[in-house]
Amino acid sequence: MSKPYVISKKADTFFYGIYDAILFIGRFFKEAVQPPYEFHEIVRQCYEVGYRSLPLISLTGFITGIVFTKQSRPSLVEFGAASWLPSLVAIAIVRALAPLITALISAGRVGSSIGAELGSMRVTEQIDAMEVSAVNPFKFLVVSRVLATTITIPILMLYCALVAMLGAFLNVSQNEETNFVAFWESAFDQITFLDVWASVIKAIVFGFTIGIIGCYKGYYASKGTEGVGKAANSSVVLSMFLIFIEEVIIVQIANSIRGY
Amino acid sequence: MEANKNRRAVKVGLFIFLGLVVLVVGVLAIGSIRKAFGRKVTAVAIFEDVEGLQAGNNVWFSGVKIGTVQKIRFYGKSQVEVTMNIEEKSQEFIRQDAKAKISTDGLIGNKIVVLYGGTPSVPPIEDGARLAVEQAEGTEQMMKTLQENNRNILAITSDFKAISARIREGEGSVGKLLNDESLYRDLEATMARLQRTADNAQTMSASLARFTSKLNQRGNFANDLVTDTTMMPDLRVAMDQARATITQLNETASTADAMVNNLKQTTERIQTDTDSPVGVLLNDRQAAADLRSTLDNLNSGTERLDGTLEALQSSFLFRTFFRNKAKQQERDERQARRENVTIKKGVEADTAKTPVRVELIYK
Repeated sequence: MSKPYVISKKADTFFYGIYDAILFIGRFFKEAVQPPYEFHEIVRQCYEVGYRSLPLISLTGFITGIVFTKQSRPSLVEFGAASWLPSLVAIAIVRALAPLITALISAGRVGSSIGAELGSMRVTEQIDAMEVSAVNPFKFLVVSRVLATTITIPILMLYCALVAMLGAFLNVSQNEETNFVAFWESAFDQITFLDVWASVIKAIVFGFTIGIIGCYKGYYASKGTEGVGKAANSSVVLSMFLIFIEEVIIVQIANSIRGY
Repeated sequence: MEANKNRRAVKVGLFIFLGLVVLVVGVLAIGSIRKAFGRKVTAVAIFEDVEGLQAGNNVWFSGVKIGTVQKIRFYGKSQVEVTMNIEEKSQEFIRQDAKAKISTDGLIGNKIVVLYGGTPSVPPIEDGARLAVEQAEGTEQMMKTLQENNRNILAITSDFKAISARIREGEGSVGKLLNDESLYRDLEATMARLQRTADNAQTMSASLARFTSKLNQRGNFANDLVTDTTMMPDLRVAMDQARATITQLNETASTADAMVNNLKQTTERIQTDTDSPVGVLLNDRQAAADLRSTLDNLNSGTERLDGTLEALQSSFLFRTFFRNKAKQQERDERQARRENVTIKKGVEADTAKTPVRVELIYK
């Protein structure tokens, strides 16, 4: 009698999940490059994911800029290096805060909605209905959403960085009476192209992660209303977890390129 | 529904477009600040130690950022070759004899390459130029110097400690000054005297001020002395004359001196040489007595001679002679008186002019 599981039930489920996810990702790339393209659906998803997230991202970025500047000031003042505040804040925002905040907020707002939407479609058998009516549900639902998050989250990240910098400038100009040009020069003095491109690539990866995890969890949601909630919840948790892991890996790569 | 879709598409397009604008502006800002765009020339410097300099660090010239470090690689045994990108518009200011050193932008700031120096007569650097290097004092050396300073400060404070202890014990001049009551009183008295002196000096300076103000008033002698330019030649002449007079007086005085000396010698000789006629006259009492008796004898001789002469006049032998002589004398006197009266008459017309002379002549 052969063993029912390779390692154990949980481990086998986990590794099967990974295999399934890799297949899912492979299918996404395959479907993404193959016509027909669902442009309208992609635009609609971009509107939902990107445009409608803009107020939330802007507010969060602005507050982050102010708070981070406020909290960094005492440490720098202690060294008599308050003039470094714009550089420090700019490095922090561009390198780490803007992509991470955008990704986390989007994971919460967009990832959960994708998971719940696709989960409920799966539960209510709408996906199955699409399959039988000769509409490719994967292309229509998954590819459009994943592309939308992959495109809009880097854009959102740029907005977030801009607004956070404005918040930082507001705080710095209030406390150190620095004018905009001086702040701008000081802020960008320490930022390199590598920082910007690393952040953009990071945001693209985060966007893809949020979209693909949300779609995967929703697409393969188990039966019942419980499955919808589970899909929404697990898509947020997993995408956040993966975002942090990706963050670490990308920072390592960027630093190795930078020469640290 | 279609219009709604279009609105949505426009919003998405605008959203993506503005996001890309942010990206482009950011990239351009970084590029302009980091001098990433624009034509560049490269320059190379070989350092013994780059102290943590990295590719991308700034290159400064006269405190202005003119480029970035492009590449750092080992060279030779343990030296480091630093390749710098320098913007072309700054190239003309960097001369071939300019030097490079590693520094920091602030006390704990990033490492930078500082280019400095260069003489205007030397041509500017070419692309790929190799710059001379001055090994700047790194943080380690700075700390070493600081350490030495600390030791010196410690030694100085120890010395001060010893000195202050001695002062407290009342040793040395300063110690006595601080602890000795009498010295303090002396100092106080000295200070009081100094105060008085200062008061006097003040009074004196006030007087001097008054005097100088008078000196500035026109018309008085001092002012003339200072301002009148014609007075000096006169004064000089007067001084010359006075000098000549003094010289003459000196000569007179020396002559008088010689005369007095002669007189002195004469009197000394008179006093000492008792054999000389004068000496005898002055000193010899016997000679004086002899002289007196001689004079007495002469006196009695002349008396006798007078008697003899009277006797001769009354003698008939000589009577005619004496009578003729008297007559002749009377004639002479008369003649003389007549001549005097004639002169007086001739001169009377001119009496108003010369009365004194006439009178004298008359007399």
